[in-house]
Amino acid sequence: MDLLSMRESYQRERVMLCFNGPISRSLIEEIGKALRNYLDTQQTAPAAAMDVFAAYIEMTQNIRHYARRQGYNDEQAAATVVVSQDDQGRYQVSAGNLVETPDGERLVTTIEGLEALDKAELKAAYKRQLRQPRDEASPSGAGLGLLDIARKSSQPMRASLQPLSAQQSFFSLTATI
Amino acid sequence: MPAMTMIPDLDIPGSQSTPIIRSDWAAGRLTMQGDSYPENSYDLFDQVIAWVQRFLSDEQRPLALELSLVYLNTSSVKAMMDIFDLLEEAHERGRPVAVTWHYDPRNERIAELAEEFKEDCSYPFAITPAKVNA
Repeated sequence: MDLLSMRESYQRERVMLCFNGPISRSLIEEIGKALRNYLDTQQTAPAAAMDVFAAYIEMTQNIRHYARRQGYNDEQAAATVVVSQDDQGRYQVSAGNLVETPDGERLVTTIEGLEALDKAELKAAYKRQLRQPRDEASPSGAGLGLLDIARKSSQPMRASLQPLSAQQSFFSLTATI
Repeated sequence: MPAMTMIPDLDIPGSQSTPIIRSDWAAGRLTMQGDSYPENSYDLFDQVIAWVQRFLSDEQRPLALELSLVYLNTSSVKAMMDIFDLLEEAHERGRPVAVTWHYDPRNERIAELAEEFKEDCSYPFAITPAKVNA
């Protein structure tokens, strides 16, 4: 295992925190706590720290909900989570997971559709989604969380899909706070 | 005359991802404080919603919510909206209800969150900065 090259790549990409593997509810909380502590030591403004934390929570909980609905095993339910800073010092929260390709395509379309919305339109869409009956989630089930992340982002979210097999792909999402 | 049945008050200790929740039937008060980001918020909030429904239907007295909530995930936001909607319905029937949301003035996100809830409520909804000792 070439730890040095991993370390150098993390430093180059300004990675503050990363995780790869099956993600449990308690692990989400523990990593979240570490993230908050780190942001606190960096003297991050409380509002910005909360936005980063919120993006992290919504992404990882979306992954957990999706894996549960799909009945994925631990290995299939693995998440890749990275919190970093871009070259302008803005926080970036990224998360990736295995998805059924048609679900991933729908997600990418949804996220690209949010790009055209300004803050007021995102707020209106968020409030509309909030009023949907609780058992009638959007097909992806991720609508409200994605809208919340979009509202907290300073740049449009970036999503991509990379094929893993005939039916499944790796979905990646990055939000810049 | 219907038999009196007591609904037990809530006394839910907080955890890293769930708020402290206490109800006081006699005083007509419900308090919640801390972060709320459980994966399935209704596992926690269903009992709170049930308590509020019961208080509003069994009693004629005012109900006050005292909130010091900090971060809410979207699942918790949805559950809180359901609670605020129950208060709105009661208010429209002429029932005195009120919310006071205390926030740390160092974090404007909390007041913004409270403001968005308030937009949909026509009853008294105070958003007040808490005293900061630091």
